[in-house]
Amino acid sequence: MEMDGIRRGSLDVIPEEAQEQDLSRESTTVETYNVVSDRGGRTFQRFSVETDESLHFDPCETSSPSTTGAEDGNDDNDVFKNGKDESEINSIRNRFQGKVAEMENFSGHLEEIFLTVEENFGRQEQHLEQHYNDVLLTLSQRYDERAAALEEEKKGKLESLYGQLLLCGQALDTSKELIETAQEVYRSQDKRLFLKAVKAVVNRIEEFAKEEIDLTLSTNLEFNTSLADLSDVKTMMDSINAVPAPSAPVINPQMPNSATQTSLHVCWSLFSDDTVEYYELYYRPVLEDTPADSTCAPPESKVKVKETHCSVADLLPNAQYELWVTATNTTGISPASEKALYMTVPSPPVIKQRECSSSPEAALIRWESGNTNPVDSYTVEFSQMGTDGTECSITESIVAVPTCQCLIQLQPGRRYLISVRAVNIGGPSDRSDVVTVSTTGTFFYLLEDTAHPCLSISEDGFTIFYGDEELPISAMALDDSAFTRCVGILGNLIPVRGRHYWEVEVDGETEFRLGVAYEDTERSSYLGANGSSWCMRHILSPSRHKYEFLHNGRSPDLRITVHPVRIGVALDYERGTLSFFNVSLEQHLHTFHCHFQNFVQPCFSLDNPGALTVHNNIEAPEYTFI
Amino acid sequence: MRSGCFFALQRLSKCLNSRQTFVNSCYRSTMALTQVSSNKCAGGFQKVFEHESTELKCKMKFAVYLPPKAETDKCPVMYWLSGLTCTEQNFITKAGSQLAAAEHGLIIVAPDTSPRGCNIEGEDESWDFGTGAGFYVDATQDPWKTNYRMYSYVTEELPKLINANFPADPDRMSVSGHSMGGHGALVCALKNPGKYKAYDATALAASYAGPRLDVLIDQGRDDQFLSASQLLPDNLIAVCSEKKIPVVFRLQPGYDHSYFFIYSFINDHIKHHAKYLNA
Repeated sequence: MEMDGIRRGSLDVIPEEAQEQDLSRESTTVETYNVVSDRGGRTFQRFSVETDESLHFDPCETSSPSTTGAEDGNDDNDVFKNGKDESEINSIRNRFQGKVAEMENFSGHLEEIFLTVEENFGRQEQHLEQHYNDVLLTLSQRYDERAAALEEEKKGKLESLYGQLLLCGQALDTSKELIETAQEVYRSQDKRLFLKAVKAVVNRIEEFAKEEIDLTLSTNLEFNTSLADLSDVKTMMDSINAVPAPSAPVINPQMPNSATQTSLHVCWSLFSDDTVEYYELYYRPVLEDTPADSTCAPPESKVKVKETHCSVADLLPNAQYELWVTATNTTGISPASEKALYMTVPSPPVIKQRECSSSPEAALIRWESGNTNPVDSYTVEFSQMGTDGTECSITESIVAVPTCQCLIQLQPGRRYLISVRAVNIGGPSDRSDVVTVSTTGTFFYLLEDTAHPCLSISEDGFTIFYGDEELPISAMALDDSAFTRCVGILGNLIPVRGRHYWEVEVDGETEFRLGVAYEDTERSSYLGANGSSWCMRHILSPSRHKYEFLHNGRSPDLRITVHPVRIGVALDYERGTLSFFNVSLEQHLHTFHCHFQNFVQPCFSLDNPGALTVHNNIEAPEYTFI
Repeated sequence: MRSGCFFALQRLSKCLNSRQTFVNSCYRSTMALTQVSSNKCAGGFQKVFEHESTELKCKMKFAVYLPPKAETDKCPVMYWLSGLTCTEQNFITKAGSQLAAAEHGLIIVAPDTSPRGCNIEGEDESWDFGTGAGFYVDATQDPWKTNYRMYSYVTEELPKLINANFPADPDRMSVSGHSMGGHGALVCALKNPGKYKAYDATALAASYAGPRLDVLIDQGRDDQFLSASQLLPDNLIAVCSEKKIPVVFRLQPGYDHSYFFIYSFINDHIKHHAKYLNA
């Protein structure tokens, strides 16, 4: 881990710092002693870098200036005099600035570490103090207990000795009395009395002599000190060094924007008293189609980490995972945490370039989800491109788009970069590929599924060809939406009411129809022959070009003297007009007046073999909307 | 031969306008205009003026419509050349051009169709020759050549007069007309860049080489002159096709040669002119 490295590296600095700064945490100065060798001798130079980005050079000795210009600020004047490149100085300055930034960064780290150390120290100190207090309390309790017991014993012994003393005294008194009685008897003059009394005395003396006086000490002089049981104190003392097994960590719910397509960033926390050596994170995908009690649940994976956070990689996009954590220290392993559900973000969507369209006021973007599971929503991001091709810093977003398409209102005459992200609980996916939309004019692609089978479309999608060769009937497998009689195709105009303009390039020999049609226009009739299409038709007669402007099969009678090779089509929903122009002459050819109820699509068809090219995204010339 | 149709074209003359500023100052002192009438119309004013023409050597009237925009800005001018027997009054009272002109900010100038009161022998004898039938050409023979110089009048004198007295933009002018006036408009436009004496519009078109034109022609299909083969639009279309002169020729079913026909399509034509004049 990077932090570990920094910590280890910084540890060397700390004692020095501590000495110098008297353990003051306020100082964030990092000092480095740099030895610069010199011709004359050795100069010790002190580079002091402070947080306010100022750079000081304090030569300790004012000896001859160093010649190592690149390292030495004192040489600046000489450098200019010597005419060295300013660029070199700049690069040196940049390097110094880089170093300053690096050192600042480092000092920032150091400050953080100081704080952490201080905090840890405080906690440890408190912990120790508490432990020792506990031990002392226990010991003094023990002392009191033992003292009381001894006192009790002493009292017992004294009492018994006293009793014995009393008994001895009584025995002495009795023997003294016997002796006196015997002497009295002995001294008696009266023999009869003597004889009378002696018998009784002798009996008493014999009796007394029979009584053996116990002269051994009734109590033991030694105090009976049982061995003190200090095992609990011992465990308490040990517990200062040994720690209890941690309790179950608490896994955090998923944080926004913490996941990527293939990885999850998981965080958890521990109870502050716990000491943990490492954690083990378990995870497995939650499959919706297997029941919860299934035995064939996917196997769980395990990662061992020392931090309270971890990034697991190589996951499936847009998938749910359940995760849980255990904590382990030297004593043992904790119970598992609660299981948390995390979700990886979806894969980026894929913009369907060929289905996007735009006009000067708006753009319609369509995309594919890019994910097999459904996602919650999509976010469309767009930013304006500067005139010099640089990306503008302001990115606007449209969030919570439920479907795979979005109509964006834009400013005319700009260039935009548009991208899409898929979003689920885990957060937004990476950006899709960026599409560029320029709002110069109306831009659309041709709807290839509407094309008559005889019609082929160029690679870029803007030129249609009608070949000579007849197709076999088998190739006429028709799409429902394809034209069946008229060799035609529809365009995909943006559904925005407003003004639209596009141009069509044809040659003099091609017979064509072009104009607009409702999207559901009859596929089995010719363009212009019904009420749902409006078109200009070119017919080549042997003598001349003929033009018709057809709607409902009818056309006004008009002649055009110059054959238009580039035809401008201007559609104005608000005014209900559809106008045709000869672009090279800026000549107005014809205008249909019709209030289009629904959105119309550009339509093109070829009535004889030939080609026709659609030109898109052209700014409508002023004359087209007078 | 009459070219019985509306005629519209643009960029009448570049060389004419280059010396306009200088000429304007000379004319201003000599060319006195007398206002004959002034009526508020479509937010602007429809006026008729009378002046002493130097080209025609007689008093001439012309009508001028000033759109609201002319009060503050210089506006482009569209010259309208009327048909046979008309005066400056026909167009301004019957064609209904003022609303569209006000919308697009065009000044419309409608001159009379011939000199009047010149006492030339036989000038009032025929409806299609003489008074009311100047054909917008310069006469080359006596007794007509002194007064009947309508071509010079509409291409030289009248534009100078208009530019000197009204808020007109001398760089933006166009010409349009009906019937004989349509032919006249075509002559003015086609003849201007070259030096051809021929006045036949069809012949002119065949030899035209000049600034690009854009011509819009409406023709009533039930025009009595069309059915009488006095109008030969097909010749014009064929030549314009050959010479790549851009013309949109519209045959309008049911319409005749009258001002009802003009009234129906005047908006399209004013818009057509506005497209170039306001570009």
